[in-house]
Amino acid sequence: MRGVSLAIEGGERFGLVGESGSGKTTTILAVMGLLPPNASVAGRVLLDGQDVLARGEASARPHRWRDIAMVFQGAMNAFNPVKRVGDQIAEPMELHGVAEGREAERRVADLLERVGIPPERGSRYPHEFSGGMRQRAAIAMALACNPKVLLADEPTTALDVMVQAQILELLTALANDFGLAVVLVTHDLPVVAQVCSRAAVMYAGEIVETGPVDALHHEPRHPYTRLLYAATPDLHGTGELASIPGAPPRLDRPIAGCPFRPRCDRAFAPCAEEHPALLGVGPGREAACHLNTAVREVSA
Amino acid sequence: MTTAPAAELLTRDPDDFEEPRRRRHVVWSVIRTQPQATIGAVVLLAVVVVAALAPYIAPYGERERVGDVFEAPSSEHWLGLDDAGIDMLTLMLHGARVSLIVGFAAALVSMLIGGAIGLLAGYFGGKTDIILMRVTDYFIVIPDIPLMLVVAAIWGRSLTNIILIIGLIYWTTTARVIRAQVKSVRERVYVKRARALGAGHGRVLSKHVLPQVAPLLVAITVLSIAVAIFAETAIAFLGLGDPTLISWGKLIENAFSRSAISVDAWWAIVPPGLAVVVVVLACTMVGRALEDSLNPRLRVGHLSVRHFRLRNLGGEEAR
Amino acid sequence: MSGADYVLKRTLFALMTVLVAVTLNFVLFRAAPGDATSSLRSCRNCTPEFREALYRELGLDKPKLEQYWIYVKDLSQGDLGLSFVTRQPVWNELRQPILNTLPMVGLGYLIAMVLGVLVGVVAAWRRGTFLDWGGVATSLFFYSMPQQWFGLMLLIVFAGTLPASGIADPFIEFTNPPWWTVLLDRLEHMILPSTTLGLVLYGQYALIVRSSMIEALGEDYIMTARAKGLSSFAIVRKHALRTSLLPIVTLAAITLGFVIGGDILVEAVFSYPGIGLATYEAVFDRDYPVLQGAFLLLTLSVIVANFVADLLYFKFDPRITG
Repeated sequence: MRGVSLAIEGGERFGLVGESGSGKTTTILAVMGLLPPNASVAGRVLLDGQDVLARGEASARPHRWRDIAMVFQGAMNAFNPVKRVGDQIAEPMELHGVAEGREAERRVADLLERVGIPPERGSRYPHEFSGGMRQRAAIAMALACNPKVLLADEPTTALDVMVQAQILELLTALANDFGLAVVLVTHDLPVVAQVCSRAAVMYAGEIVETGPVDALHHEPRHPYTRLLYAATPDLHGTGELASIPGAPPRLDRPIAGCPFRPRCDRAFAPCAEEHPALLGVGPGREAACHLNTAVREVSA
Repeated sequence: MTTAPAAELLTRDPDDFEEPRRRRHVVWSVIRTQPQATIGAVVLLAVVVVAALAPYIAPYGERERVGDVFEAPSSEHWLGLDDAGIDMLTLMLHGARVSLIVGFAAALVSMLIGGAIGLLAGYFGGKTDIILMRVTDYFIVIPDIPLMLVVAAIWGRSLTNIILIIGLIYWTTTARVIRAQVKSVRERVYVKRARALGAGHGRVLSKHVLPQVAPLLVAITVLSIAVAIFAETAIAFLGLGDPTLISWGKLIENAFSRSAISVDAWWAIVPPGLAVVVVVLACTMVGRALEDSLNPRLRVGHLSVRHFRLRNLGGEEAR
Repeated sequence: MSGADYVLKRTLFALMTVLVAVTLNFVLFRAAPGDATSSLRSCRNCTPEFREALYRELGLDKPKLEQYWIYVKDLSQGDLGLSFVTRQPVWNELRQPILNTLPMVGLGYLIAMVLGVLVGVVAAWRRGTFLDWGGVATSLFFYSMPQQWFGLMLLIVFAGTLPASGIADPFIEFTNPPWWTVLLDRLEHMILPSTTLGLVLYGQYALIVRSSMIEALGEDYIMTARAKGLSSFAIVRKHALRTSLLPIVTLAAITLGFVIGGDILVEAVFSYPGIGLATYEAVFDRDYPVLQGAFLLLTLSVIVANFVADLLYFKFDPRITG
């Protein structure tokens, strides 16, 4: 991964889009300082201006869950099978001194209700919950310490469509009601369209475009973004399913030029030589593609 | 290649389509890429070779008195002499033969019994399975060493008897593990296909099931060798070994009953035990490496050399 | 299945196994060829009439099935028969040995569990480091040793400082000692056999605790715990330990049964008068009632231990009843 930089406002719903292996999960794990010990990490995570990773684990840990919380991919297994769900939701509260004992129990019941689970279920074990309920419980658990940012990694994959819709509505409502910033990581474009206001598109470990979701859909400034949207099945239309030929590049070797070039339908001379930088292409929009600079040059 | 529709391809286990012909070679490649297993295998091989050549490379006769009682090690007698003035190194070499023979033979017996029972129980399921597993459960519950003691005392102390006794007691874990494996293999597509095409049980078992189960069987048998060697030392120590033969177990017994301790004759006590440690370690390393790579999530209790007759934890049956 | 169903099922299984064990015990000792009666035939000074009388007295002249029925009936009343050698009730012969064995095995067991859990947890927590390698190496080493040989080694090392055999100083009574001296004396005699048992068991436990812990630490919910901000130590203590405890506890319960059966070797080395040694002596004395009784008790202890393991499994893993 290189040069990934995101700026998110409070209460904003931000999407992080890309194929599997594009580096989306790695990015948010890095934000929480949760990468495995054999990872080399360079960069800063600024929370309200303060660098959270400055002193490594020691500085990161107090912020975990209190300020930034996460809902993992496949939240099915986020719970410890031999402990009660309620206890696990209360755990971070007690850890970070947010609430204890009775007070914590009350808050747990509150949270469960808010995500649409009957509060009595808190005394049950994870295997007694259905997939969708566990996902919601995971969201409740993430909210335990009233974080400022919620990182949701593929929260709706592996759930059926009805449940998906419910979860997405829940996330939207929570963001609106509590000023919670949500980073929604997904490969599923309709999800982004439904929930997020802004998004960043990742490819091969880099950000290739950012901007408001509508703009990304109707005026993409990177071929990958355009092709992604084109490849998304449209329930109302009858168009053919386009796919992007080829596969993402291997990231263990240095890539010359633009990483998307082998699959791009508009590649030209500079693409093979020079790596395109992420440049501003409009208000609140950035893209990393030579086509943008070429066009500008032509029109200048 | 198969012509199954694309969607199916994504959801099926690749093994399901063709019988993996290369499985037999898994064993060899494992040994090559895993250092622990390689060391273990090399050590075992070395011990076997030395033991096989014992009569030719032993410096003295195994009953030949060549010096004083408990003479200390010297350049002529690297491991000194025992209480009858016999060269310890010679005894160790000859003992290696018997110990290894018992180890391998008894492991073979338990492999045959356990393998057969596991195969039948896992393949046929239903009543056969229940009956066989009940029998296994009852066998497991009997304490091993007392049983061996009693049977050896009743039947007599020949080498064959000892091999049989050991094999007849330690087959249970093999049976359990093989049964679990056979059950999962039985569900594979190519087995079902073979049955649908009218293949008889015998054919399916020998051509399709057995090759899949064989590598795991090998792994368990290797571990059984260690168990058998332990059992032999126990029997010999309690005075029920074959009186005409020297084995490492017998040497340990000699050390005990002929008061090698009171004269501090460590050379009569330490070597046989160390030899057992080395062989058991080697078997354990090889067996575990094979087992780990072939079936990483064995849920049949925990296999261990020492208490080899562990049964399923109660929860398994409840599920 | 519900909790009550599970307990019931396991209880029935245990009882069935007891019944089968009793039957097998009978078959082994009375009905097998070369059985108890053959030793009587070799009694050279016995006149034929005496032998006949003895036969009848011991009930050996009756048909096997009837003998079996009598055997079971007697058992249910706690009667294990009379010893051939001492003509005393078998239970009296075995009572003291059992009482001797239990504390010795218990101590060894404790050593094994404490060391095993400690080394196993640390090795898994600090996986890949020197602590891990060291732990695994020592475990493998101890686990590969024949018990009796290790006992002999300990004897060599400690021969001067600790007693080499028996359960108590035979002359201690004469000095009218206070209770703690007696206790100390007993402990001195117990420490070597217990340590032998314990260290050999420890090897196995440490390895299993370690792999169980490693597996627990690889689970997804551990990542969640990290994300919540729990420290490494807290994660081990609060999450990993709890889930890896289950296999450890059940293993402990199961091996307890086998340890009781297998300590013959240790008792033989240290001449410790426990049930193992009693069994051993009974074999050589051809004292079949005692042997049969000891055998039954050993088998029963294994069955009970397994049953306890089943119950513990049920208590620790809520998924069973779900």
